[in-house]
Amino acid sequence: MKENPEMDTNAYNERIDELLNGYIDDELTGEKQAEVERLIDQDAKIAQRLRQLRKCKILVGSMPFAEAPASVLEGVKASLAGRSLPSEEQAAYEEQAGKKHVLLRKVLAAAAMIALAAVLSAVIHRFVPLQTAPEEPVARMVAASGFSGRLELKTSALNAVDAFIKSAIDDNGLSVSINPERRQSRRIYSLDCTREGLNLLLGDLDNIWTELDSATLFVYTENFGTQTVVEAVTTKQIAEINNQDSSERRIELAKDFAVLNNLAENLPDKEIRVAIEAGDSILTQQWRILKPVLTSDQKAVKKPAEPIQEKQKVRLTIILDW
Amino acid sequence: MTEAANSYIRVRQVSNMHVSINDAVLIEQYRNGDSASMEQLVLKYQNRIYNVILKICADPDDAAELTQETFVKVIENLDKFEGRSGFYTWTFRIAVNLTLNYCQRNSRLAFRSLDAEQQQQDDSKVQQVLKDFLSDDSSPDPAAEVQNKELYRIAARTLMGLDEAHRAVIVLRDIEGMSYARIAEVLNIELGTVRSRLSRARSKMRDILEDILR
Repeated sequence: MKENPEMDTNAYNERIDELLNGYIDDELTGEKQAEVERLIDQDAKIAQRLRQLRKCKILVGSMPFAEAPASVLEGVKASLAGRSLPSEEQAAYEEQAGKKHVLLRKVLAAAAMIALAAVLSAVIHRFVPLQTAPEEPVARMVAASGFSGRLELKTSALNAVDAFIKSAIDDNGLSVSINPERRQSRRIYSLDCTREGLNLLLGDLDNIWTELDSATLFVYTENFGTQTVVEAVTTKQIAEINNQDSSERRIELAKDFAVLNNLAENLPDKEIRVAIEAGDSILTQQWRILKPVLTSDQKAVKKPAEPIQEKQKVRLTIILDW
Repeated sequence: MTEAANSYIRVRQVSNMHVSINDAVLIEQYRNGDSASMEQLVLKYQNRIYNVILKICADPDDAAELTQETFVKVIENLDKFEGRSGFYTWTFRIAVNLTLNYCQRNSRLAFRSLDAEQQQQDDSKVQQVLKDFLSDDSSPDPAAEVQNKELYRIAARTLMGLDEAHRAVIVLRDIEGMSYARIAEVLNIELGTVRSRLSRARSKMRDILEDILR
């Protein structure tokens, strides 16, 4: 085989450089160190190379030390605000494990109750036409505050999802209520709109839900700083929470979804999981079923509450991250 | 010695002094619900993390954001931290990974060192400063060199002339002062790779310096 002297020289120089750098950094064994010292004494070029490499090290080492701005600690605190400490998480986990057990029992009981309710309502419909629900006290609904929360979306297709969200916001005429904030690795949208507006946006966002690595909803409670977290949340679930008239009901529903989603993730039976995710299962129907209404001699009063509900302001911060 | 040099040495001393506090104790306290312990850990490492990130990414705002992101990730994943490597190593691994990923996504960073301000430097002055520095065979005092702004700019420019992988290894060794074994742990590479990468990085730096002199 023909020798390549140039390659040999390069390999030799690289080996010498590695030795010299190890010498400079005090990372050589005693034996190798002695070898380098012998080379330096014998070869002026190697001694010169050692000086050059040492200068490079000194040059970088002489750069001034930069202190982190005070905003870093504040930023870390803000990012973690509302998240529970590990000990609290453990307690929450244990509580949730208990909830799962209770929920399983509840699901079975609910299934029986729903079947019973369906039979009863069929009977009631047959004999007495269902009357319009009596009007809820309007004052209570007006006073109720709208949904407020944060939606954290993680995706590896940040730009594509971001573009879709912006387009959906524009399409639904929500641009004026959006305060977009762009940071290096995330996009933040502070949405302040009507309940109906949010539902329309959610309908569009459903199309990109499969592009997300995770979707977590934080539903704020009336107690400052506390929130209910729904992992693997769907657009339908967000809309259902949004549609509740009181903070208590939103929290209650969010908690149920949190447990349900967690349960769905862990259920061994895939069919049940698929059924739950499809939203057509009897397990999810319970959120929509009408309450039985007692019939009476009173005249039915037309329900005028819808427009008031729609005017309710909702606040949702969407954080898109990779 | 000037105030700048004093401040430089003081920061180094404070950083080293902080290392003596037991991280494991603070982590355990945090796991038991003491959020102030985590604050102490952030305060303890934030300057060193920030400094390393800044030297790799060269932008103070990005460095601040990446430092913040590092600690958020550290805290979020603390339950997965098994203590096989030290907290310090683990935190630096997260920081460097985040920074390198960020640099790869934003290749424009590679050209930052060539910004307008630096381009307008008086080339002959820069060349003279560099010549003096390279020809001086005495061992200069790093703290004294800090005062030389021209030299600092040359260092930054040289560093940014390297690709991210070479820059990271140089920064961890020559700025953070890590051993080769620690660098291998942080970058998750073989010890031999650290040796060869560091050697190539310094060799490349030397080429860049010669280009400046031409």
